[in-house]
Amino acid sequence: MMTKNFFDVKNVDFKIGGKIKVKNVSFSIQNKGETICILGPSGIGKTTILRTIAGLEDIEKGTIKLKNKLLSSREINIAPEDRNISLSFQENSLFPHYTVEKNIYLGTERNNISNKKKINPHDLVKLLNIKNILNKFPHEISAGEAQRVSLARSLASNPDLLLLDEPLSNIDQSFKEEIQVELKNILNKYKITTIIVTHDSYEAFYLGDKCGVILNNKLIQYDTPYDLYHFPNSVKVVEFLNRGVLIPAEVTSPKSLENDDLGTITGNFAKPYPIGAKVKLLIQPEDLVHDDKSNLKLEVIDVKFRGTNFIYTLKTPSDKKLSIITHSHHIHQHEKHELFGIKRPIHIEHIVCFD
Amino acid sequence: MNTNKLNIWFFSSSFISIFVAIPILTVFASFFEDTTQYFEILKNTFLLEYIFNSLTLLIGVLFLTFIMGVGSAYVVSFYQFPGSNFFKWALILSFAVPPYIYAYSLFAFFENYGTAFTILKNLFGEGNYNSQIPKFDGMFGLILSLSFSLFAYVYILARSSFLYQSQDLIELGKNLGFSKLKSFYSIILPSARPAIVAGLSLVAMETLAEFGAVDFFSINTLTTGIYNSWITFDDLAFANRISFFLLIFIFILFLTENLSRKKAKFHLNKKGGFKTREKIKLSGISSLFAFLFCFLLFSVSFIFPLSQMLYWTIKFPENFAGLQILNLMLNTLYLVMLSSLVLIIFSLISNYGNRVSNNKILNILSTLSISGYAIPGVILAIAFITFVAWFDESILRMFGISSVKKIFIGSILGLVIVYFVRFYSLAFNGIKSGYEKINISVDESAYLLGYSKRKTFLNVHIPYLRNSLLFVIILISLEIVRELPITLILRPFNFETFATTAYISASEDLLEAAAVPSLFLILIASIFIIVTSKFILRVNDD
Repeated sequence: MMTKNFFDVKNVDFKIGGKIKVKNVSFSIQNKGETICILGPSGIGKTTILRTIAGLEDIEKGTIKLKNKLLSSREINIAPEDRNISLSFQENSLFPHYTVEKNIYLGTERNNISNKKKINPHDLVKLLNIKNILNKFPHEISAGEAQRVSLARSLASNPDLLLLDEPLSNIDQSFKEEIQVELKNILNKYKITTIIVTHDSYEAFYLGDKCGVILNNKLIQYDTPYDLYHFPNSVKVVEFLNRGVLIPAEVTSPKSLENDDLGTITGNFAKPYPIGAKVKLLIQPEDLVHDDKSNLKLEVIDVKFRGTNFIYTLKTPSDKKLSIITHSHHIHQHEKHELFGIKRPIHIEHIVCFD
Repeated sequence: MNTNKLNIWFFSSSFISIFVAIPILTVFASFFEDTTQYFEILKNTFLLEYIFNSLTLLIGVLFLTFIMGVGSAYVVSFYQFPGSNFFKWALILSFAVPPYIYAYSLFAFFENYGTAFTILKNLFGEGNYNSQIPKFDGMFGLILSLSFSLFAYVYILARSSFLYQSQDLIELGKNLGFSKLKSFYSIILPSARPAIVAGLSLVAMETLAEFGAVDFFSINTLTTGIYNSWITFDDLAFANRISFFLLIFIFILFLTENLSRKKAKFHLNKKGGFKTREKIKLSGISSLFAFLFCFLLFSVSFIFPLSQMLYWTIKFPENFAGLQILNLMLNTLYLVMLSSLVLIIFSLISNYGNRVSNNKILNILSTLSISGYAIPGVILAIAFITFVAWFDESILRMFGISSVKKIFIGSILGLVIVYFVRFYSLAFNGIKSGYEKINISVDESAYLLGYSKRKTFLNVHIPYLRNSLLFVIILISLEIVRELPITLILRPFNFETFATTAYISASEDLLEAAAVPSLFLILIASIFIIVTSKFILRVNDD
């Protein structure tokens, strides 16, 4: 028997102003209460996807279904006001003539008529830390505050599907992580199915049960955050996540490869390759382990102090740049142009290669 | 939003735009009748004189309004001196004095045995002062009347542009070692250029459309030519042809103004916020000069005509008694209220239709329809009569339906329709500028919160636009109170307003009798201006 997904997008071309932004997209959210994140560079069409799901743009190909009800197709386009989908815009979309409090309470109007578990706006005010600005008007608050109010309003409506467009982009870094935690708690507590658009992969990995990557007008990969990071399905995804380097290697056994600069690399192949195959091997910072006693030494060309750790950029004899992380309290620091030891043999839990 | 584009809002909006565009298209259509005669008309009539006079007037008025408008805006925007806060809004009171009333005052003050003569006689005793008092009549008087009455357009736009100017830019000038004069020429003036050009274009349109003052000084311009060929020669076709030449002038100005406004957007602070600029405190002689400049401008443009009218009203109280003031007041208010209501309702519908439909054809129609403001009232009134006559004789007669001329010509309905066409752009643009402050995502948020289009319009837009609507109503009222040619041509028999009464008395050489209605007109207009000055000057941002 076929399982019915809570939300389904099938073969949709997402377009805006007559121009197709993302082609032939299919993905689904299996269960109510799940959160998915859509990642991609600016201008790629992430917002268009949200606007279309919300009913603000129509489609000419494919179908969009929520709770097995057809929302959009070539023939049908249910009006935004009849979808019970809430979209929190990236820019300020608060009603300018109402106070922050009134703006949030307008969101609860729909909340009141549905038979769902009610979301208490007071909880939202507390969680999103907007108590002090309740009596202010939108033009009197900062962009970050406006974004939190907009988020509160969308949450207050307790929609069937919540769409968040870069919800934390204007929020201070110091406050961002706190809000991420609170947001995740609210979404879990009220079982709100959510699609979040962001360009911040850390945010996506934290909030999303699944993540999709949009590149070159296509949904390239749609996976769990862990798989997206450890098993990227293309060089483009690796480049977009910018967390690894591809180096040339030759498969020497079902569990090892050989690279001219790094020597033998062992581990489990994510996908089998024939012995003797020439591949591009993905090396991520956490794949390398620092060892001062090792005879594999590479030149340090850059050092970044990131508080909890150091990120060293090393240069191989064949001019490849590799990154490696060490603990912040590591016994001694290495300066630029010093030699930096790497433990041998290099062991990678998931070996990801590309042809 | 792409969905449901062809809805009731789209059709209502299209209908309103087409309706407003009809008189404009009528004028254009009339140009293509009997085209072979044009050269003859040009050669054998006063057309060249009309064009020459119109151009001379235009250049003179533009020059003076530029000096007065930019100069006063600069002084009150950048410097603090005794009375600077008062002059900031007092200078716009000159709007309350229509050019024709200014013309009556100017002429009467300096004429032989006029007010100036009386003052000199009272001060120094009997004497032959008439030969020493300069005469401000003819073209020079006309240029002065229009300039003092219209410079506020340039003042308001230049001042708001000066306020928007980035403090950083001015500080950068100081950093580069620019003198005050160099900062003015190199930084302040160029970045306010689009606003100044926009102000000058409005002045130019008003100048070319002016009827009362031009008629009073007996200068033959294109506008009076149109009126005379209709009234004196009963030749509608010729009136329409002259209109066409005038429209070409105006069309060029309209384009200039539009292009300038588009550019002006780039001079606004993107976030819309202002960095409060510390005004430079003037002292000593420079403070005195700044004060005198503003004081003279205020006195000559507003206090002078007001005093002249007040003086006559007090000197000849019999004129006050002879007028049915209450009747004139009720007539004026009746027109104001009816026209405002019609304009506000239709402009709101049209704006909302444009917003939800986002249709290119509708945008073009709207642009065409708002050009009504650029077309002189005389032309609109005559185009309206032409259209009704054509409709009556061609369409209705064909179907054997009796004439509707009486319903539209010489009736309140006809008057309100032409006011509607003339001031539609004022209402439409006023509401539009309010709408532009509401991000489209606000509408979309409302839909996503379950609001229908109607509910969004009533619960989100109308409350937000409340202030804009009030501002637009008062602006329309101000225009209608001052309006002369349309009312003169289309008013019902025995239906007078303050403007028409003043004009009729003046045209019968009874300037003293014109004083009472003129005084009332100035007072009513002043009240409207004082009420709206906060909006006009954006005091909040100052």
